[in-house]
Amino acid sequence: MPEGYFGSYVTIGVFAVVGLVLVFGTLALTRLLRPNVPTRAKTLTYESGIDPIGTGWAQANVRYYVFALLFVIFDVEAVFLFPWATVFEDLGTQAFVEMVIFIGVLALALLYAIKKRVLEWL
Amino acid sequence: MNPLLAQSVTQPSVDWHALAPELVMAGTACLVLVADLFLPRNAKWIAMPLSAAGIIGTLAAVVSLINTETTTLAGTFEVDAFSLLFKGLFCVLGLIILAISFHYFRAGSYYQGEYYFLLLCSLFGGLVIASARDLISLFIALELISIPGIVMVALRKGDARANEGALKFFLFSVLSSAVMLYGMSLVYGVTGSTILSEIRTSIGSGDEPLVVLSVFFVVVGFAFKISAVPFHFWAPDTYEGAPSPVAAFLSTASKIGGFVGLLVLMFKAFPEVADTWAPVFAVLAALTMTVGNLIALRQQHVIRLLAYSGIAQSGYILVCLALINPGNPDANEQAFAAAVIYLAIYGIMDLGAFAAAVAFARRGGTYFISDYAGLWQRSPVLALLFGGFLISLAGAPPMAGLIAKLFVFAATIEAEVYWLAIVMGVNTVIAAWYYLALIKKMFFETPELDEPVEVPYLLSAAMGIAAALLVALLVYPPLLTNLADRSIF
Repeated sequence: MPEGYFGSYVTIGVFAVVGLVLVFGTLALTRLLRPNVPTRAKTLTYESGIDPIGTGWAQANVRYYVFALLFVIFDVEAVFLFPWATVFEDLGTQAFVEMVIFIGVLALALLYAIKKRVLEWL
Repeated sequence: MNPLLAQSVTQPSVDWHALAPELVMAGTACLVLVADLFLPRNAKWIAMPLSAAGIIGTLAAVVSLINTETTTLAGTFEVDAFSLLFKGLFCVLGLIILAISFHYFRAGSYYQGEYYFLLLCSLFGGLVIASARDLISLFIALELISIPGIVMVALRKGDARANEGALKFFLFSVLSSAVMLYGMSLVYGVTGSTILSEIRTSIGSGDEPLVVLSVFFVVVGFAFKISAVPFHFWAPDTYEGAPSPVAAFLSTASKIGGFVGLLVLMFKAFPEVADTWAPVFAVLAALTMTVGNLIALRQQHVIRLLAYSGIAQSGYILVCLALINPGNPDANEQAFAAAVIYLAIYGIMDLGAFAAAVAFARRGGTYFISDYAGLWQRSPVLALLFGGFLISLAGAPPMAGLIAKLFVFAATIEAEVYWLAIVMGVNTVIAAWYYLALIKKMFFETPELDEPVEVPYLLSAAMGIAAALLVALLVYPPLLTNLADRSIF
């Protein structure tokens, strides 16, 4: 086994080569072994067994964009709330007040969204 | 509940007084946002006096902290003469920007409340960066300055140029953040700490490739933020597309925020390895000055001219960082003081020039330099003030631009880096050419129109205060130099 800092790159290199051989080797092997009889049904895009209809460029309604943004607000809130919840008993009132302030600032964003009427569908 | 987790969390003590300026500013920002929601359409302008009151309150909190030296939040937040000087400067710049913005945003159908909210958020980032003393808070403060800036650039939603400017700014900002974060993660990997003072003691020698690489990445990240050549491409397009008061903000407060972060990082965390980064700054400084000035020569649009002139001006501040040599502490202190003095004076005089450009464009709506012909005959006061700011940017009396350049030159001579002094000298002459060409247009050519340019009182007051501050600093430099001397780390 090669030594030292850069020696460990040899290990990574071996893994990369093995990975590539696995993928492309398998592909090459199947190409050699399988018969080649293309039909229309076989060349269709496979999506959960349902026949594809129309183009792949479906449009999502732009309203979802605002919901995605709002989702981020609550997502960030949750990311901070969970670790806080596990320790907040030991940290006392100061931690509680700080979290209230944090949620208060996030609530401002929600208030903004409500007042700008982005929560009304249609 | 996990007992291990609970043990590893210790509550840092919080010194609320030390945080007072930030708290006032953040509170005002929230207040402005909420107030805007409940104000009727024709009273939205009240957001501006509210913001002004908040900034004055912040200034009062900064004044109440004078002579305090303390750290809080487990050593990540420091209040000292340096941070207070820059907090005060951000407040003053903020007030002038508010004055420039008021009529501009009231006249157009802009999102006034949102604009003032974003401006206050950005200024809040400036306050934090002056005090930030660890990598994480430095990074967050820097992002807090630039992210609201991106939205402010894009406030004119329907304008293609504004969208182009905002998109360029966004992409460059994200790229520079990524590069900088990579550098910071390497620094953490080398030293095992994010606190700047601990990094300083454990970073080891500057010969190690990993140290050189990490410092280099961090410097490149900052170079994007302060639009140093060759990382400057976004600045002129962004300034041109942005609403002009926002361009004024980006060119002054935002850029100064980047420099403050750079100064803190280089002098608090990396002073022992200055051998590795001082030459990088020397190259950046020489390139920034020369390229900025040469391209500025050909500009026909006054905002683009100011953008390139601002790029060239940041070259002079980079010179101060290029002078640092671990073996010569006296010269280092002088270079640091020169950088602080230059930043303060540059901020005020550049804002003054932007204010004059906004005032001129208010009625005619034009930013083209050819339209400035004969401004002296149309509006003598505006022409005098604009001329004064431009001469000051060129580095001549009767305003304080001279002092700023003088201190950088003196520091360069003291540090015995003569080739940079020569580059600066040549650049001062090139820069004088385009500043004086605009002044010649204003004073010695005949105007196409006769009507005077109407300037609202608030804009006149902003320009008047900026001019008065600059004249006062030229007459009695110790007003600023004493503060700068005290703020040396």
